[in-house]
Amino acid sequence: MRLYLPVFLFVLACSSVSAQQELMFYQMSDYWHANALNPAFFPQDRNVQIGLPGFSLDAWNSGDITFDDFLVRQDNGFKLDFSALIDELEPENDFVFDQRLETVSLGLRLPGNFYVSAAHAVRTHGVVVYPKGLPEILWEGNGALIGQTVDIAPSTLGFGWQEFRLGLAKTFDRVTVGARVNFLSGVVALETDRGRQRATVYTDPDVYQLTLDADYGFWSSALVESIDTADLGFAFNLVDNVGQTKLFENAGASFDLGAEVRLLERLTISASILDIGGKLNWEKDTYYFRTNGNYTYEGGIIDGKDLLNGSDSIDFETDLDTLNDVFAFSRAVQDFSSTLPTRFYAGVNYQLAEDWAVNATFFHQNSTLIDQTAVGVGLRWTPLQWLSVGAMYGYNSRSAANVGFHLGFKPGPVQLYFASDNLLTAFQPYASPQVNLRMGLSLAFGKRDAGGDAGVPFEER
Amino acid sequence: MPMYNMFFRRALPAIALLCSLGACNFNDFEDVELVDHEADYAFPLFQTSINLKDLMDQVLNDTLSGDSILVNPDGTMTLIYSGDLVSKPATDLFNFFEDAPILVQDTVFEADFNAPNSLRVDVINFIDGTLQTVVTNNLNDTVDFTVTIPQLNKNGVPYQVKYRLNKKETYISPLENMGGYELRAQNNKLRVEYEAYLPNGTRVRLPDIIPGSLPAVIIPTKGLIFSYMEGYWGYETYPLTEDTIEIDINQTDLEGNVTVVDPKVTFTVANSWGFPTRLLVEKLVFVDKNGVEIPLQSTVLDNGALDLDYPSLVDGEVGQTKYTDVFFDKNNSNIDDIFNAQPVRLIYDIDGIANVDQDPSITGFITDSSLVTLLVGVELLLEGSALNFGADQKVDLDFGDFETLDTAKIAGVEFKLVTENETPISADLQVFFLDDNEQVLDSLFVGGVQTMLRAAPVDNNGVAIGTERTETFIPMDTPRFNRIRTATKAQLLTYFTTAQGGQVPVKLLATQDAAVKMGIRVKARF
Repeated sequence: MRLYLPVFLFVLACSSVSAQQELMFYQMSDYWHANALNPAFFPQDRNVQIGLPGFSLDAWNSGDITFDDFLVRQDNGFKLDFSALIDELEPENDFVFDQRLETVSLGLRLPGNFYVSAAHAVRTHGVVVYPKGLPEILWEGNGALIGQTVDIAPSTLGFGWQEFRLGLAKTFDRVTVGARVNFLSGVVALETDRGRQRATVYTDPDVYQLTLDADYGFWSSALVESIDTADLGFAFNLVDNVGQTKLFENAGASFDLGAEVRLLERLTISASILDIGGKLNWEKDTYYFRTNGNYTYEGGIIDGKDLLNGSDSIDFETDLDTLNDVFAFSRAVQDFSSTLPTRFYAGVNYQLAEDWAVNATFFHQNSTLIDQTAVGVGLRWTPLQWLSVGAMYGYNSRSAANVGFHLGFKPGPVQLYFASDNLLTAFQPYASPQVNLRMGLSLAFGKRDAGGDAGVPFEER
Repeated sequence: MPMYNMFFRRALPAIALLCSLGACNFNDFEDVELVDHEADYAFPLFQTSINLKDLMDQVLNDTLSGDSILVNPDGTMTLIYSGDLVSKPATDLFNFFEDAPILVQDTVFEADFNAPNSLRVDVINFIDGTLQTVVTNNLNDTVDFTVTIPQLNKNGVPYQVKYRLNKKETYISPLENMGGYELRAQNNKLRVEYEAYLPNGTRVRLPDIIPGSLPAVIIPTKGLIFSYMEGYWGYETYPLTEDTIEIDINQTDLEGNVTVVDPKVTFTVANSWGFPTRLLVEKLVFVDKNGVEIPLQSTVLDNGALDLDYPSLVDGEVGQTKYTDVFFDKNNSNIDDIFNAQPVRLIYDIDGIANVDQDPSITGFITDSSLVTLLVGVELLLEGSALNFGADQKVDLDFGDFETLDTAKIAGVEFKLVTENETPISADLQVFFLDDNEQVLDSLFVGGVQTMLRAAPVDNNGVAIGTERTETFIPMDTPRFNRIRTATKAQLLTYFTTAQGGQVPVKLLATQDAAVKMGIRVKARF
């Protein structure tokens, strides 16, 4: 206890975390919702698992940007102030958003050590890579950027979909393998064309002539209907009933594979590959928008002869209309597809004692825009059969100091859990560059005597 | 159960609850606004390029039609101001034939031409007009009548009319068209002979209709027009032209020191009169802005006179035109000094003198197309220097929509004026903004005039080399702009100086441009 309490307090005191939430939850294989991370995971103490809503959110900014950087409290509310944020930005910045809502799921143990599962979830994946120049120009104007070619083209990959999962697993002695097919139904999508992602603004030091150069394209499904440039801006007109697509109008599929091996009595390893071949084919209200032009605005061009004749008039309307025409977006009806990021998990769990276990987890995600890799080592304490507390130290490509925490309850058939990769975001959400949390509720019935040590206190094994 | 188990069993739910207290209250994010801040925008306003030749075209086009710009092969420009082209046909002075009858007083009669005393007509070729014979026989007998003008021949056949008149009869012959007739006069007289025979062969003189005044034989002429006249022109003075040339380049509001390197006045005379003619310059003066007349003095004119070249009869140059060009420049006149006084017009009055030397051996000619054409011009090569050649002018101002612009959202503006000048002329500028009572509200520049256009450097020949770029920043905060935009007039003070402080002459080339561009930075409030 003397050793563990300081460790626990250390965990509480840590801040600035950005560990993969799933990293920690992967080690909670005795909670039904963990099945979503490995189709071979099935809690051994119950035969029937009913998953109620579970929610996870993982959103982060690159660098040290926190919500405090652009949200300021004024007049009993919040106001946006990007001044400090812009100073914190890198030349290229990322914003990643992953959200999952497990609506309902079901798991059954069948004779012969077969396990079947079915689940529904609503997921969102979003990545925005944006240059510093974009918020800089929007917030501060181009006055401080004279003489610079400023990149203002963001890249984005964002889509939401529903997922219908059917899984099958089987235990062979100490090895459990599982597979799952996921039927995907896309809801909305917005994806930039990686071959056309150029938009720059140059302000000439001469007399501030503006050169706009763009070759920019993006696809949209069930989101953007048209882009109106009549008023010299880009007004996005959304489709009617945004996101209200019929089931499987935008269809796709993916596969999950997983395995869990109990190497020794106390040593268990596992691995899974999720969203294999995952692809969503967008066909509902799908458009490809593109703007392509290079134009230098030099102000009103006055013919010297007209000036001398006193018959000049600067037609700003004509010049600015030309600018508008050059950068108007063309629209084409075009189907497209989005590739789901493939995820890899691998974990090791060693039961130190009855209520203490150490674990290590590896995670990698292949996304179109950003790959992520993380490694974590954790400690789990189950002082009571229905209570679990855990902490994890994680390392990923963005930070070497990530500390996670979880709290789980399993009173009777109820499974309730809460976890956060950054405990302090719960108290100071604005002071962290990320938001990361996971919580859920499920029910488990059919207490099972699985033989072996399932459900038997450790000291009695 | 260990004590810590008891502790966590009860404490952890409380800890979990505490953790949730820091969770986001999403209601805080409803109606999120932007914090007040300023943004700085820079964008261009306008640009223009003024070409020197276009500028000079505009200066000339304002008033006159008789001026032009000549671009010389080396790119320099010459302003040419011209008077009206004056032509004096010879027929205006020497068409002395009147529609008058010749009264033949006797059977042989010599009638006088109504030629000027200085003119001795030898030959006249007619192209038009009519001549006829009217004879009255008051005798009581028949008369055979023949009248002949031996000097008036057509194809070698003299004019002759024959008729037998009855007693108391008047005969009017048909009109004879004089086209093609040649008259060879002697001593400016026309000889007419007539013969009248009675039936018995007696030659008689027909009695006068009115004795002593109206003879029986009358030869009316009408509309006689000659095509060629040959003879001797003696000394005779006649008016040629009187005109005024406006020099509008000096008729501006610009004042200051300007020197033009090589001004010229040119006389161009085309002469197809076939006898010696001398131009007599009665008056050739320039008038300055104050109306003071400054005579042009030149060694080219001998007491104001100039002999013209002319086509010679002896040399067979009938129908040709001879040209005489005369230049008055700084080498042979005082025109250099005159143009430094910036004259605004040239007044000239020129007469002609025929055969000033009165050489009787010179037989001359004129035709019906003989002309003396005179063109007087002023040529100004645009090469010179100027020092503070300036203008002070007031113009009306109308800020249009800017008068009602809400300036609360503008923290300040800064104009950037850039000029890129290929010409060897610099310009200093100051603008005063005035209200309706012409009281000064503000000025564009603080601290007096500013150089907004710097002259390009020049080489030893006064030709600009390279381009001179000038940047002028004009800040203006909102209170200042609010003051200026109420102005209804502006007073512009502009001063032009050529390169090197106006101390050396420079050449203005037709290809030289001056570009003027302006951009603006606006600090906007949000």
